[in-house]
Amino acid sequence: MTDSNIILSVKDLVVKFNLRGKILTAIREASLDLYEGESLAIVGESGAGKSVFTKTFMGLLDANGWVDSGSILYKGEDLAKYKREEDWIKIRGREFAMVFQEPMTSLNPLKTIGSQVEEAVILHQGLKGNKAKKKVIEILDDVGITEPERRYHQYPHEFSGGMRQRVVIAIAVACNPKVLICDEPTTALDVTIQAQILNLLKELQKKYKLTTIYITHDLGVVANIADRIAVMYAGDIIEIGTCEEVFYNAQHPYTWALLSSLPQLGVKGEPLYSIKGTPPNLFNEIKGDAFAPRNEKALKIDFVERPPYFQVSPTHKAKTWLLDPRAPKVEPPESIKILRRQWQVRANG
Amino acid sequence: MLKYSFKRLFQSLITLFIVITVVFLLMRLMPEEGYFGDGYEKLDEAQREAILSSMGLRDPMHIQLKNFYLDLLSGDLGESIIYRAKVPIAQILKTKIPYSVRFGLAAMAISLIFGVSLGITMARSKNQLWDKMGTGYIVFINAVPAAIYYLFLQLYITDILKLPILFNPDRPVSWILPTISMSLGGTASYAMWMRRYMVDELNKDYVKLARAKGLRDKTIMVKHVLRNAFVPMVQYLPTSLLFTISGSIYIESLYSIPGMGGLLVDAIQRQDNTLVQALVLIYSSIGIIGLFLGDILMATLDPRIKLDRKAGAR
Repeated sequence: MTDSNIILSVKDLVVKFNLRGKILTAIREASLDLYEGESLAIVGESGAGKSVFTKTFMGLLDANGWVDSGSILYKGEDLAKYKREEDWIKIRGREFAMVFQEPMTSLNPLKTIGSQVEEAVILHQGLKGNKAKKKVIEILDDVGITEPERRYHQYPHEFSGGMRQRVVIAIAVACNPKVLICDEPTTALDVTIQAQILNLLKELQKKYKLTTIYITHDLGVVANIADRIAVMYAGDIIEIGTCEEVFYNAQHPYTWALLSSLPQLGVKGEPLYSIKGTPPNLFNEIKGDAFAPRNEKALKIDFVERPPYFQVSPTHKAKTWLLDPRAPKVEPPESIKILRRQWQVRANG
Repeated sequence: MLKYSFKRLFQSLITLFIVITVVFLLMRLMPEEGYFGDGYEKLDEAQREAILSSMGLRDPMHIQLKNFYLDLLSGDLGESIIYRAKVPIAQILKTKIPYSVRFGLAAMAISLIFGVSLGITMARSKNQLWDKMGTGYIVFINAVPAAIYYLFLQLYITDILKLPILFNPDRPVSWILPTISMSLGGTASYAMWMRRYMVDELNKDYVKLARAKGLRDKTIMVKHVLRNAFVPMVQYLPTSLLFTISGSIYIESLYSIPGMGGLLVDAIQRQDNTLVQALVLIYSSIGIIGLFLGDILMATLDPRIKLDRKAGAR
């Protein structure tokens, strides 16, 4: 991964919302580089700002939200400066496409599946009439919808949840985008369907040479599909690295806590771990490390100053004072130590 | 679709039949003075009985019912007794209905066009100037008794614009104010419902997906939102359309339009039993037919509405 492969570069992005006169800071100076062709997972608990973060790339923030400062560089343009619909029209669908969380309500109930996919084909691939229809049927076939010619004329209510999600994915693919953002694509589906949809997304990524961003709070999903993981907490990316690095060599106490909460890592006979407390109130200004109040082993400086990124490896960095050479040695939880040992064994053997 | 229509049609016919029967039976319970007209006081008991049996009202009930159905089937609504003695009711209605329908349809067209576009504008500029002005209008129309602004329009606007104060079939300018007055209420309610349904739809996920797809807001509005928002309104359109024949009591009496408005009240007050019976029948049939048409219309617009149990792959 070199800098020349960077397709999207977000720097110090701040996103605010006005909620009944009160200002909420949803994204606090988050930065991210996205490499062409990779699949990046953004994980974090509800309200961490995962969705909002990616929505800013497409200008899809709700009317009461805005980009306050920072930049989103894409193909030499700063998307953070876009205000008008005219500008966004060139980005939406054409460059970035999105798969939403709710397949049951994401489709217009009064229009046929075919016409909804076709809209995207006509708009972004410049096809018309029979050619467009052919393309739609081809795409429907690609996303695993059987009998696409018949299904083309059916309405959303004649599809199951998993099938509808396939249609939503078909619409995204039909836009022919460079980057596909999947906002919790499997959250609303049952487990067997989840695996199918994830496999489908992986196949499509290869076939259409997509760069993908997965938003999820399901670490199981992450292990399955991601090349890199970005951990988000209170509107900032506090740790980012390759999938292996973040799983087996986590550095930030929040990442530790997140991993320790995985049932698979629990110690037999002991209660499952859960993170104490609640995420910080984003209406207030946050001082120091946002996770400090919930972190039993927080350092004094965590409450005073916000940590910068410390590089762990060329591909791995985390925002925690523990990585500062002057920091005292803090032992990670038992489950993290086990993971690290596994990693070392792997690296050596 | 066809199956659904037939099923609904069958249901409507049964309802209609029940309504007709109930109306007829209830009318038999009305005071019998209603069958005599002005001469009631001068007649003795025997004469009254003779008149009643000549009208067939002393026949056994099932015979009366059978005759009533047969008359209805041949389009005979009976004769008026008091309102316009011995004149067939069909003929009375024939002169009155055209006035009411003409005004009603014109007013409805105006309210639909203005109400729906106002509603759309309000939804698109939610909480901004247009929305607030529209809300003001809707609140005003609903809160102020119609009589007040009807009178105001008649007294002042006719004066300012030099329009005739009363209806005159030969002078089209005299048709303007009654039509406008009649459309005010409809405009307000169409605007209110249209705004409400539009706002509902605009917040739905499929609108977000459509934006993410790269469609312009205008296209989304026209191609996706409008039809969805219109479906819940469409059900009552045929009913309102048909009910234009009942006219508006207030407007018609204000401008002395010889329409249907007030005819039912009049007939009841003057105890014209056959006329009351005919009008009640007509209005209830309109209600049933209107709802039937509304359901059919809705089913054509919304593919989800299907009465047959099997709802495709689930």
